[in-house]
Amino acid sequence: MRTIKNKPEILAPAGTLEKLKVAINYGADAVYIGGEAYGLRSRAGNFSFDQMKQGVAYANAHHAKIYVAANIVAHEGDVAGAGAFFRKLRDIGISAVIVSDPSLIEIAITQAPGLPVHLSTQASTTNYAALNFWQQVGLERVVLAREVGIAEIKEMRRHTNVQLEAFIHGAMCIGYSGRCVLSNHLSLRDANRGGCAQNCRWKYDLFEMPHPGVKQSQLKNGEAFSMSAVDLAMIQHIPDLVEAGVNSFKIEGRMKSIHYVSTVANVYRQAVDSYCADPDHYVLKPEWVDELWKVAQREMSTGFYYGTPTADDELFGKRRKRPHYSFVGEVLGYDEQRHLAIIQQRNNFGVGDQIEFYGPHFTHSQQKVTRLWDRDNDILYRAPDAMMICKVPVTHPVKAGDMIRKQRV
Amino acid sequence: MINLIATAASYQQVKALLAAGADTIYLGEDQFGLRLPHSFKPEALAQVVKLVHRAGKKVTVAVNALMHNDRINLVGDYLKFLSKLKVDHIMVGDPGVVYILHQLKLPLAYIYDSEVLMTSARQINFWAQQGASGAVLAREIPYAELVQLAPELRIPAEVQVYGATCIHQSGRPLVHNYFDFVKQHQNRSDRKRGLFISAPHKPQTHYSIYEDINGTHIFANNDLNLITKLAQLQALGLNDWKLDGLFADEAGFVKIVSQFAQAKKALLTDQWSSELAATLSEQVNAHQPANRGLDTGFYTIEPSEVR
Repeated sequence: MRTIKNKPEILAPAGTLEKLKVAINYGADAVYIGGEAYGLRSRAGNFSFDQMKQGVAYANAHHAKIYVAANIVAHEGDVAGAGAFFRKLRDIGISAVIVSDPSLIEIAITQAPGLPVHLSTQASTTNYAALNFWQQVGLERVVLAREVGIAEIKEMRRHTNVQLEAFIHGAMCIGYSGRCVLSNHLSLRDANRGGCAQNCRWKYDLFEMPHPGVKQSQLKNGEAFSMSAVDLAMIQHIPDLVEAGVNSFKIEGRMKSIHYVSTVANVYRQAVDSYCADPDHYVLKPEWVDELWKVAQREMSTGFYYGTPTADDELFGKRRKRPHYSFVGEVLGYDEQRHLAIIQQRNNFGVGDQIEFYGPHFTHSQQKVTRLWDRDNDILYRAPDAMMICKVPVTHPVKAGDMIRKQRV
Repeated sequence: MINLIATAASYQQVKALLAAGADTIYLGEDQFGLRLPHSFKPEALAQVVKLVHRAGKKVTVAVNALMHNDRINLVGDYLKFLSKLKVDHIMVGDPGVVYILHQLKLPLAYIYDSEVLMTSARQINFWAQQGASGAVLAREIPYAELVQLAPELRIPAEVQVYGATCIHQSGRPLVHNYFDFVKQHQNRSDRKRGLFISAPHKPQTHYSIYEDINGTHIFANNDLNLITKLAQLQALGLNDWKLDGLFADEAGFVKIVSQFAQAKKALLTDQWSSELAATLSEQVNAHQPANRGLDTGFYTIEPSEVR
């Protein structure tokens, strides 16, 4: 029976130490995080060196890796201290740094030898010659531009042996990442230094101006001009990505919740393991796709993988209907004797609600909440307080680390 | 020495630009170069190169597209062709082109320009280490940063002093997709169509937008005009001044170039004054297309204003 030897890595985002642990528990082989400097997600909840150490210890215990994104495009003076920063990452045990600015690449390579460097998608790498260029400079891996198709990746693979990382899920820039300063010009916020105001998703007036001040608007049918991409989801095309030679499957979203990270990592873990174990008999399971919809924030498409995106790949018109789930809480423990799930609440729920437990390895169980107690065994009807501990009788055993969601009505 | 670099829209315009005082002519074709006033096929390009070299001036050819494999497969032959033509420089914006240039070992000097990404001296010096003989500075660098940056440069860096500033490039046909959605079929979206977008609640803004084979391009609200700032640039040793005539009309652009040539002459002969700068700036305004504004972009912005 054929199997896939070089199984691609699943790389998940982790905005916090908690998300890092959840991502790894739910199947991520590696996570990427931000440090307190040089990263593009200034609002994503970034890691101090101390938190990084805790993250590395956790990752090491679970055979996972941690990459740190340091992908700003620096202005004069911004790179002061970068050499020491990179050495610190290396010494903490970070597996690689994700960089886009050549000045930071040069600093990482010359001042922190031994720390592998990955080129960020912000550098918009779209051809094999560029891959070879960066490998020659000393990079271990390149995160491809989101504008690259499956056929192009296959052609790249024939010309290079540098590691290839590609986005498989999440929100996308509408333009070539890095080559967009809409935010700088429209909002005085530097897109390439963590300030992106997402101006692409605004509603614009599109017009001709045959004479100064005389605007002839092109808006039609009440629809404004916008540049808002739907999200990427490659769940239906895992075989193509594996066979094209992608080494790392990247999930977007350092700002996203643990509900999102656990769900998405869990799904792709299943799909990749299933395909690599027996590629010739692989079947896409509809429940994987359904599961992704439970945390979808926008409609989903395959981006540039199978051709240039059309109007269907942008957010125009009314939102199409999709199920809305809210995150209810996390299981802290299970009382086997009394069949009780001990839960830390994250959103209001209570007696009468239909909830869903899910856990690593894609375990699921449905449960109607019939009774509810607080930690002192006092009877509750709702669990309204954030992070409160409560207990729920369950018909299927659950485990610490399982998550709970419910469909919004 | 001050180097006035002007884009070319036609053979005839090149003649006029040289007469007006341009030192370097910048041109290319859309297949390999980005956002050019005219796409010169190889034969037409060769004629311009001859013309410019006969006048003792220089040529830079744009090979600065973001290249996918299909273009990378073709660019080697194009580089050989440019090398035979003895063009003075090529403009490169993709590391893949640098790689191929090194592999082919062609005697072809290159200037690196990844546009909005060219934001520090250290980055430019990285490209110098990779063999670049020049670079182009991002338009988003304020003067206060230029002051820090200029002394650190190991190779000359061009500063755009006139013309449109690209602020977004998408691989998607964004205008076309919109027209498709609202069912305005067969609607043009090329540069000549003259489309703009305005930001929400700011109806007076007018960002040019168009599509070509390199994707969708969006430009800053106003074109740049730094003619009043040239003495400052000269004092910093930033003497490669680029004028981009992408949205200017052919004859008007020649007039604009001649204002900068006058400024250059005045600076080199100690005739510069703020009165002269103001007069020349008025002239630039007079030849600017009526539906396009001018300003100094990020030049006068305090670095701390940008978050």
